[in-house]
Amino acid sequence: MKALVIDDSRTMRRIVGSLLEALGFEVHQAGDGQEALDLLDDGLEVDLACIDWNMPVMDGLEFVTRVRANPDRRQITLMMVTTESETGQIVRALAAGAHEYLIKPFTPDSIRDKLEMLGLVGSEELV
Amino acid sequence: MNDTAVDQMYAIAEQVFSAMIDGDVGPLQPWMGDVPAIVDPIVGWVDAHGGWTGRAALTTSRPVAYDLTRALLRMDAHEEVVMEDLVDAYGELVNVVGGNFKALLPASGTLGLPMVADTLPEVVGAVPMEGLNLAWRGHLIIVSIWMFG
Repeated sequence: MKALVIDDSRTMRRIVGSLLEALGFEVHQAGDGQEALDLLDDGLEVDLACIDWNMPVMDGLEFVTRVRANPDRRQITLMMVTTESETGQIVRALAAGAHEYLIKPFTPDSIRDKLEMLGLVGSEELV
Repeated sequence: MNDTAVDQMYAIAEQVFSAMIDGDVGPLQPWMGDVPAIVDPIVGWVDAHGGWTGRAALTTSRPVAYDLTRALLRMDAHEEVVMEDLVDAYGELVNVVGGNFKALLPASGTLGLPMVADTLPEVVGAVPMEGLNLAWRGHLIIVSIWMFG
């Protein structure tokens, strides 16, 4: 499986990326929503996108909206990974088409649990 | 803010450091005793705008910020940290603390992007709301919350 980690923080891309690699994902990275869309436009196909909310150029909510507007990208599972933890923000993200929502800070167990619920990893994989 | 809010702030810091830095809650404690001036300080902050306008800031000494970066990036104790990594890692730490603090407030706001510098830039009309002094592995880290007028 392939994953795209979209976050303006290299630190967070590194942390999320290493956790996903430990779960067997091939990980690609983008620093904002526009860079991520450019990668998809260039032909990158991924099963999962982990998306920060607050980013320069294009934020995570706009990215989710753009991906969901494209029927050719319905196979991508979209998971917000963000500090935005207010109920209203979560509702907005889910309404825009995000499948899951993971609030920072998270533990390796919590990201694995979310991916299990999404059916992207089995319960036997270890972090 | 009242004692409950301070407790909530501490709980946020404990949760953030436990999940992102240490893997357990032991290394972060409330600071006990007099608070010394921070030598060679570094400060990270994130501003919120909208329903609530204000700032969350994290201040510590530069050597401690380097150690936090190493811990966050799972680097060896003596591995060299480049400034770009320090700014990014410390900024993300501030971002997570600030974002979770914002969720405590009755009025929602939009979080800006984290910044890191030697000193905290002044904002006209900013009022200090609360401060929390923490000891991370015995080193002082100050969390401060400001409300903009």
